[in-house]
Amino acid sequence: MTGQAFFVLTALADGPRHGYGIVREVAELSQGRVQLKIGSLYGVLDRLAAGGLIEPDREEARDGRLRRYFRLTRDGRRALAEEAELRAATARVVRARLGLTGAEAAG
Amino acid sequence: MSGGLDLEQRYRRVLRLLPGYYRDTWEEDMVAAFLDSWMTGDPDEDSVTMEFDRPSRQEVVSVIGLAARLYLGGAGAPRRYFAWGQAVRGAALAVLLVHAAAGLDGLVSVFLNGSHRIVPAPPATIVTASPGGVWPPAVWYVVGYVWIVVYVALVLGHYRAGRVVAVLAIVPALAWLLQGQLTGSLQSPYGSWAFWLLIDLAPILALAAFHRDAPPAARRPWLLALPAYYLLVSVPVLAAELTGHRDWVPDTPGLCCILVAVLCLAHVPRAWSGRAGTGVWSLTLVLLAAVAGAYRIISLGDYLRDPHLIYYLQGPHLIAVGLAELLILAVAVALVAPDAARAQAALPASPPRPQLG
Repeated sequence: MTGQAFFVLTALADGPRHGYGIVREVAELSQGRVQLKIGSLYGVLDRLAAGGLIEPDREEARDGRLRRYFRLTRDGRRALAEEAELRAATARVVRARLGLTGAEAAG
Repeated sequence: MSGGLDLEQRYRRVLRLLPGYYRDTWEEDMVAAFLDSWMTGDPDEDSVTMEFDRPSRQEVVSVIGLAARLYLGGAGAPRRYFAWGQAVRGAALAVLLVHAAAGLDGLVSVFLNGSHRIVPAPPATIVTASPGGVWPPAVWYVVGYVWIVVYVALVLGHYRAGRVVAVLAIVPALAWLLQGQLTGSLQSPYGSWAFWLLIDLAPILALAAFHRDAPPAARRPWLLALPAYYLLVSVPVLAAELTGHRDWVPDTPGLCCILVAVLCLAHVPRAWSGRAGTGVWSLTLVLLAAVAGAYRIISLGDYLRDPHLIYYLQGPHLIAVGLAELLILAVAVALVAPDAARAQAALPASPPRPQLG
């Protein structure tokens, strides 16, 4: 799973979001390190939808434009959980090898 | 508020780069998300933004990247775009195969010379071909080995590594060309630039087709193609040169034309068999013929520009020979082009799976 896909799935973990809502959430989650352009975002959404990891939730009209909301599917939630576990395990190994405690790692 | 549509219209113009089926599904969403990213909620500021602002360069690049992935489709793409993707991937690998075979040629010469050095002393042909070059001749040997790495990496599915190394492989030739152009020392500027643009740069750009969704190349045939090409093409060419029959060997663009023509003729029975699934290879051959034909046509400019070059390289009839090579190529590709066109017309340009919304 790419970093962008991981962040997009994470952005949808606590509820459905529309396109720009995902962009903002990803920027916040990554502390500004991942700034998705719209072309990149929809490339990721298209792949995730084709893979059955996300699906449309609803459409809402605002300023005369429809916004499509996306949500995680059950497979998407499972894939995200597995990826999160993998990344957490990797992070634990890195911390152990660097000899970092929890406080040092946070600081 | 007529200006209020401008930013939206400008973005929609950029989105026209995307295939129609994709726009049908995603365009309104993309426009809404794009405009959301610009709007502040202040009517005056938003009005100015809508009237005067344009999509950023990074935004346009992201759409171009998406368009490249969609048109050069991989798994899950509409069959027409998948066929284009496969054809471009095949053509890119075929051109890289020629580069890799040249690298293999250098490597074999090292062992034949009994040298234990990976970079041997330069042969006289390289020294005379690059007078006052910006690089020592050994660099060209290393570049040849690098092409082998690029080719094998792509065949084995290491797309990202292959792309990065391939970009590095074309830099020395570009530096040599620029230096030659600036100092006026290029003996055949048309052919040299055409080689770099069509045989070096074009396949590198075509590596955009080796994206995450691209299916892996058929490893065994492509890996076997490297020694096969070396034995069937490089060795006979070398043998002709060593036995004093250099005049029999076409120049590089001529050799490209003849090789593609032979591949086309070999494919004719399958292309005319009416069997399904032949169109992708026909399309690959059409792309290769376009590259070889363009290279041949441009490089003829050198022989027209400098009659001395004709004698120096091949003899006085090279322009006639070059035109004959073009004719052979055109006839050969005309035999497979209808199959490529027929396959394209028969393949759907919409995805088989149901679309969102």
